[in-house]
Amino acid sequence: MSATIKDTYARRVRTFARGSESVLITTSVIGFVVLASTTHGNLLTRGTLTAIFQFLAVPVIVGLAQMVVLGVGQMNLSVGVLTGFCSMVAAWLMIRLGVPAWLAVVGAVGVGAMAGLINGVIVVLTRINGFIVTLATMTIIDGLRYGINGTSTFQGYSPSLVRFGKGSSLGVPNVFLVAMAVAALVAVFFRRTVAGRRLLASGGNPLAARLSGVSNDRSIVIAHMISGLLAGVAGVLEVALSGSVNATIGDDLLLPSFAAPIIGGVALAGGVISVLGTCLAAFIMRMVDVARAQYSIDPSWVDVIIGVVVLGAVLLTQLRHRGGGPR
Amino acid sequence: MRTAEHCASIVDHLDEDGQGAAKPVHGRAIPFWANPRFGLVVVIAVLIVVFSALRSAFLNVDLSLVPMQADLSVFVVVGLAQMAVLSLGHMNLAVPRMAAISAFAMGWSYQHLSVPLWLGLVIGLAVGALVGALAGWIITATGVNSFVVTLALDFALVGVVSLLYSQVGDGVAFSVHPAGMQTLRNGTFADYCAGSVCGPPVPVVVPIALGAAVLVGLLFFSVRAGREMLMTGSNANAAQLSGIATTRRIVQAHALSGMLAALAGFILAVNNGSFSADIGKSFLLPSFLGPVLGGTALAGGAVSVVGTILGATLTEVIQAGLNLLQFSIQQLNIYIGGVLLVALSADRARQLLAERRAQRS
Repeated sequence: MSATIKDTYARRVRTFARGSESVLITTSVIGFVVLASTTHGNLLTRGTLTAIFQFLAVPVIVGLAQMVVLGVGQMNLSVGVLTGFCSMVAAWLMIRLGVPAWLAVVGAVGVGAMAGLINGVIVVLTRINGFIVTLATMTIIDGLRYGINGTSTFQGYSPSLVRFGKGSSLGVPNVFLVAMAVAALVAVFFRRTVAGRRLLASGGNPLAARLSGVSNDRSIVIAHMISGLLAGVAGVLEVALSGSVNATIGDDLLLPSFAAPIIGGVALAGGVISVLGTCLAAFIMRMVDVARAQYSIDPSWVDVIIGVVVLGAVLLTQLRHRGGGPR
Repeated sequence: MRTAEHCASIVDHLDEDGQGAAKPVHGRAIPFWANPRFGLVVVIAVLIVVFSALRSAFLNVDLSLVPMQADLSVFVVVGLAQMAVLSLGHMNLAVPRMAAISAFAMGWSYQHLSVPLWLGLVIGLAVGALVGALAGWIITATGVNSFVVTLALDFALVGVVSLLYSQVGDGVAFSVHPAGMQTLRNGTFADYCAGSVCGPPVPVVVPIALGAAVLVGLLFFSVRAGREMLMTGSNANAAQLSGIATTRRIVQAHALSGMLAALAGFILAVNNGSFSADIGKSFLLPSFLGPVLGGTALAGGAVSVVGTILGATLTEVIQAGLNLLQFSIQQLNIYIGGVLLVALSADRARQLLAERRAQRS
């Protein structure tokens, strides 16, 4: 009995995700081709291509950080500022404490995971809505982020880390490779590991999950911790990529962190995630930004377009839901 | 009010994960100390005493109390704007940008149509209400979560507002000062004297905010539309089955939210002395702080206007006090976030304690 329910559920999720992902793939490909041909191949020069993928890495990871908590039906408003905070921590470790780069990276990611863990524990212990808890921790982390170095900039840390961040392997930017590897790990976590499946079970139907012996509290804590960890990874990538960091990093990441998973077909209610969809949506948003730069359009249009795309994507999903029989 | 609140407390316990065992308190009323409003009053009083002991300037009328009241007027109305949709169990993430676009409409009509102050305000409120109604309409027509709709709307409006300012407006702000704006900005009732008796040192904008609070309170307390919004928030299906036009109520609540956001934008513009593109930018956090600290549940079905005013007051007192102690704005954030967490946890603890006691007796 429970096996059949699980099977149909899994199948429904799979077909749903596949449908939404195929639309996204088509959109990305068409968008890229149109953009490449209308800019007279300007898009295909080595420099432009590298820039496109370099600056795709952080949005992808931040989108995944939001996706993980959406998977259990929670939200994490602190994703953006936490990314900035972890960047500052990594730079601070290297410059002020003279810690070697690899240790600073581990430290910053650890700080991210810790912050996520605290979010999760507060949500579970107090039973306050996750939205409000992370709104509060967002405010706190925002303050801490500026507490490290005020408004001044950290620069001149580990040249080897920056060389790695700006470099490419086999023509692909290193930071993008890292982002893809992390995305693959997240996908494996949700698809293959028991903890990942439990997380989705808690998100999809908490009551059923509890009756089948899944601890929803543990799922929530784990999801928040992974979300913080991913924000830490994004922060480290930012440090490696930019060569200098200050406390404004992360200010513009919160809204895109929601936009990527939502466009990617992740349900806010929980239980449904799509790693591929989130990555593709981040790519599409990046394309909108690139198009703006290529056609030198007013940057404000990017926000308008992304707003419309978010709504359009959700509507499309909704329509497919209705068309596809009972939900 | 009580019944809606009571229902909400049950809903709250069931909340999203269905884990909390629903144990409504029957018969006995919750003791007074379990009321979040009571806790807020105590905390506010303690903080005022502490701050004025540390810095006597905290109680200085012209330098501290008057600007505090002017700021507070903005926060109260911003809080009410969020509260209007929290009544449905919805959220409005576009409060900042609804304020911004209404402020643009007001500034534009003052500059180019040379309308009087009140007419510009009416135009701004109408724009806010329209944008809010649009959000509500999209939510009801598509069945998409209010969070996503207002998030997308916020994205779109960020772009639209800066496009409007750069193309139709004068860059980033309107230079116009309609007649009466200066009075609203600097005037207090102490300027108005009847013989030797002068008014209290209360800024002229305060009654606008208080008036809005009273009207919103009346709406939710004794007007059918407001009661039906609460019912919709409490249980949309039950409301629908009892013949409430839930669709219309949802659109109306969002329109109200947009209108209040516009009013907050107006008061802020008056306080700042100009209608500029950054009106509303800092509204998102305060919009949640007021109602949530004041005990309005995110689940919907219960609102508290007094709580929202107290929550906004607490935020303002902390900000003004720490400002006076020369904390930077970033350090300030750490404390405000901390207070939010502590206040809500204490609230939850009090609630549990009260329930346990009520069950035992």
